[in-house]
Amino acid sequence: MAPRPLTEARAARLGLLVAVVVVGAQLVVGAAWSLSHDDPTELDLTRRCFSREMALRVEGTTGDPVAAAARGGTLTTIVEGNLVTIAIVTSSGEAERLRAAYLALGGDVESRLEVRGRYVRLWRRPPSPSQRRTAAGCEY
Amino acid sequence: MSLRSYRMLVAAVLVAEATLLTWNAWRFDWLRGYDASGNDLYARVVSADLRLPTVAETSVWHTPPLWFGLAGALRRMSDAAGWEPVQRPGQLLAAAAGLAVCVVAFLLARALWPERRGLHLLALVLTAASPALVRASAMYHPETLAAALAGGGLLVCVRGLRTGPTLATGAGAGALFGLAALTRAWALPVLAAAAVVMALDARGRGSWRPLLALAAVTAVLAGPWLVNEQLAHGSALAFNRPAPETSLVERRPASFYLGPRTLDVYRHPVTPAFRNELLPHLYADWWGDWALTWDTPPPPAPGQLLGQGVVTARVRQDALGLVPTLLALAGIVALGLLALARRSAALGLPPLAAIAVALAYVLFAVRYPSTDGDTIKATYLLVALPAAAVGAAFVVDAARPAGRASAIVVGVAVAAFVVAQLPFLVL
Repeated sequence: MAPRPLTEARAARLGLLVAVVVVGAQLVVGAAWSLSHDDPTELDLTRRCFSREMALRVEGTTGDPVAAAARGGTLTTIVEGNLVTIAIVTSSGEAERLRAAYLALGGDVESRLEVRGRYVRLWRRPPSPSQRRTAAGCEY
Repeated sequence: MSLRSYRMLVAAVLVAEATLLTWNAWRFDWLRGYDASGNDLYARVVSADLRLPTVAETSVWHTPPLWFGLAGALRRMSDAAGWEPVQRPGQLLAAAAGLAVCVVAFLLARALWPERRGLHLLALVLTAASPALVRASAMYHPETLAAALAGGGLLVCVRGLRTGPTLATGAGAGALFGLAALTRAWALPVLAAAAVVMALDARGRGSWRPLLALAAVTAVLAGPWLVNEQLAHGSALAFNRPAPETSLVERRPASFYLGPRTLDVYRHPVTPAFRNELLPHLYADWWGDWALTWDTPPPPAPGQLLGQGVVTARVRQDALGLVPTLLALAGIVALGLLALARRSAALGLPPLAAIAVALAYVLFAVRYPSTDGDTIKATYLLVALPAAAVGAAFVVDAARPAGRASAIVVGVAVAAFVVAQLPFLVL
């Protein structure tokens, strides 16, 4: 029996079949991952980003009651030699509260404090642009 | 569709696209695009000092100089006229090139299937409504010019291959590919695909002059740049960072290839989610704005959170992109199969060019891994857009039932697709 000629409609259907299989396989990979992993919190994502993508050592925060009060959690890491305490907030109001609490400590806090989105960061020394960029690279 | 309606619709789409791209280029802060400062320094150095920038001066020294020369000349004119910002003419140049990409996709569809007007229109609209093209057309960046020139070369080749390439085909395509290669290295895979197909065609016809003209003109235009890169930086395809010394296989983790967080494109498709996971990262950047450089305020002001509307708009974009993505993939496969079955070089060139661009891009992304994901950008793939749009339009046209009713359904669906995207596409 002679093979069926490849009409345009048949080529289009074959193309669609291949595309659906490829995209479907990608969605299956995503679904399998999603089902086998809990939805990570912002703290988990941030911790993972610093440790896996930026190859930084991440630890829990100690001795900082302001950061400890953050509803989203807190962590500490060292970026290019500068220690930074990161608090994750859940609202703009909470970010403002943490900022006010840090500023109330006085001294040079203002030059060491960064508030961006969900993140309130207190650096040990005023951060360099490169240190800021690295920290901002792990914002979710 | 009557010839009159067809002409009116094509004109309407082109006028609407020109208006959109000009409006966006006018409104978009040139500094928000990637490499903006480096591009501006390059443009200044090329136009004022008539030399290439050094490695120490700008991180984009590895990019070919054509667009920077043009943008630099426009910059000097703006400066002399006191027009601020002086970078805006460069953005308008990118917008004009973005419009040219749309024209190329339309003409490519017309060259392949001259009588199928609905298909031409569909290819045009799918190109014009591509978010990656619209975003790149507002930036101070050479991406759209490279896509337009490489697309032009592809178009000249396809036209020639349909009727038999001439010396003018080779020389014309060579000129466009040469200029494209002088704009962005992403044109080179398209050139390679064209050379392969032209060589196969030449062998069949026994006439090698068009291919020789293609090679000679391209070499004359792009050769000096590539030789300079080889001599000055050790590689004709030098990049702004050294490649790691580990083997290619070890440079990216499994998650880069597998994209385990793919479903997040429908939940939270913005940086840094699924960063460096190739497919979801590219998809979210093509249909949305993964890096948050489009219509968001620059990084959230102190105390402000990223608005939920920003994320929702990008989730909607990613949802809208699923069907066109399927159609584009299907089109590339379908055109490839059809070209093989019919031994048609003209039909085979667009899918081969798209595949060549994709392979070159994956090799680049693997070769130069980066922690911040800056080597994964959808706009790097713009040179493949005309081929992908034509493929998608072909699949729709070939797979739909014949008749006026199905044409109307397709028209309504496409219109809905465009309208749904407008809030995102219009700045």
